[in-house]
Amino acid sequence: MTPQLLAIAMAVVLFIAVILLLRSYVLPEKYAVLWLVASVVAIVLSAWPDLLDNVSNFFGIAQPINLLFVGAFFVVFLLLMQVTLELARTRDELRKTVQRLALELEKRHVDDD
Amino acid sequence: MRFLVAIPALNEGAVIASVLASLAEVHPLRDVVVIDDGSHDDTGRIAREAGAHVLTHAFNIGVGAAMGTAFKYAAAHGYEAVVQFDGDGQHRPEHIAELVAAAQHADIVIGSRFAKGGTFRSSAARRGVQRCIAWVVSLYARSKLTDATSGFRIAGPRALAVFSVHYPVEWLGDTVESIVLATRQGLTVSEIPVGMNERAGGTPSQSVLRATLYTGRILFILILAAIRTVPPQLRHLRGAQKEARA
Repeated sequence: MTPQLLAIAMAVVLFIAVILLLRSYVLPEKYAVLWLVASVVAIVLSAWPDLLDNVSNFFGIAQPINLLFVGAFFVVFLLLMQVTLELARTRDELRKTVQRLALELEKRHVDDD
Repeated sequence: MRFLVAIPALNEGAVIASVLASLAEVHPLRDVVVIDDGSHDDTGRIAREAGAHVLTHAFNIGVGAAMGTAFKYAAAHGYEAVVQFDGDGQHRPEHIAELVAAAQHADIVIGSRFAKGGTFRSSAARRGVQRCIAWVVSLYARSKLTDATSGFRIAGPRALAVFSVHYPVEWLGDTVESIVLATRQGLTVSEIPVGMNERAGGTPSQSVLRATLYTGRILFILILAAIRTVPPQLRHLRGAQKEARA
C-alpha cells in the first residue's frame, strides 16, 4: 500500500464517521459543518497532492508540507475555539436555569406556608 | 377537537396584547399558551395579565424549543391538537377555524402564504428561495406544499404524540425539519391558503445574510433528512405503531 492510499483511506474513514454520527442524531448539524469541511479537504488533498504544491506556490511557500501544517493547525484552532465558546455559553445557560429554578422553588415554598 | 393555541414569543411586548385581544374573539384565552422564550421585555407579564397561560424559558433557546415546550404542555393537559400562532400579529385568527377543520383530513395542516388564495407579497428572490424549499419538502411529504417555512400550522392528535416527545430545535430548522420528521413517522401533511398581515411589531428574525445562511442550512437539513434514521427519542413510538398495525 502506498502512503497516498493510506492517507485517502484515513480521510474517507473520517468523513464516513462524521456522516454516521450525523445520521444517528448524535452529532448536531451545527457542529458537523466544520468537521465535514475538514474531512472533505483531507480527502481532496490526499487524492490530489499536486494541489497542495500549486497552492503553496501561489502563496510563495517553499515547503508545501508547511502549508499543510499551518492549515491543519488552523482547523484544529477553529474546532477548539468552537468548543470553548459553546462550553462558555452552556455554563452561562446552566447558571440562568439554576437561578430561575431557585426562584420558582422559593415561590412554591411560600405557597406551602 | 379540544385544541391549544401556542404562541412562541420573543420580545413581543409591544404587540402581544393586541394579538391576544384579536385571538380572544375566536378562541378562549384559557386555551392559549404563550411561550416566552427568554424575552428581555414585559411579554410574559402582559400575556399573563391578558388571561393567557405563560411558560417562561430562562433564556432564549429558539422557536423550535419553544414549540417543543408547548407540545409537552399540550400533551400534559390533555389537548388533542396544537395550533402554532405568531406573536407579532402576522397571522389572522379567523383562519384558525379553517386549520382546525382541515385537520380532520391530515395530521399537520400548514397555513400557506403562497397557495392560491393567499395574499402575501414578498421580493422575487425570497419567493424563489421559498419555492425551491417548498418543492423539495413536497417531495418528502408526497403532497403539494407551497410554504414549508410558515409558522402558522396545526398539529393534530397523531402529530402531537410525536412532537411532544421530540421536536426539532435547531435554529430555524424547526419549520421544515418538523415536516420531514412527521412524514417519516407516517403522518400526513396538507395546506390551506391564508392571508397574512404586515408585521405589527417586534423584531423580524431575518436579514439578508441570515436568509442566505438559513436557506443553505435548510437545504443541508433536507439532504440530511434523506439519510437520517429515526431520532432515538422516537424509536419506541415507531415500535408501538408497528405493533398497533400488526
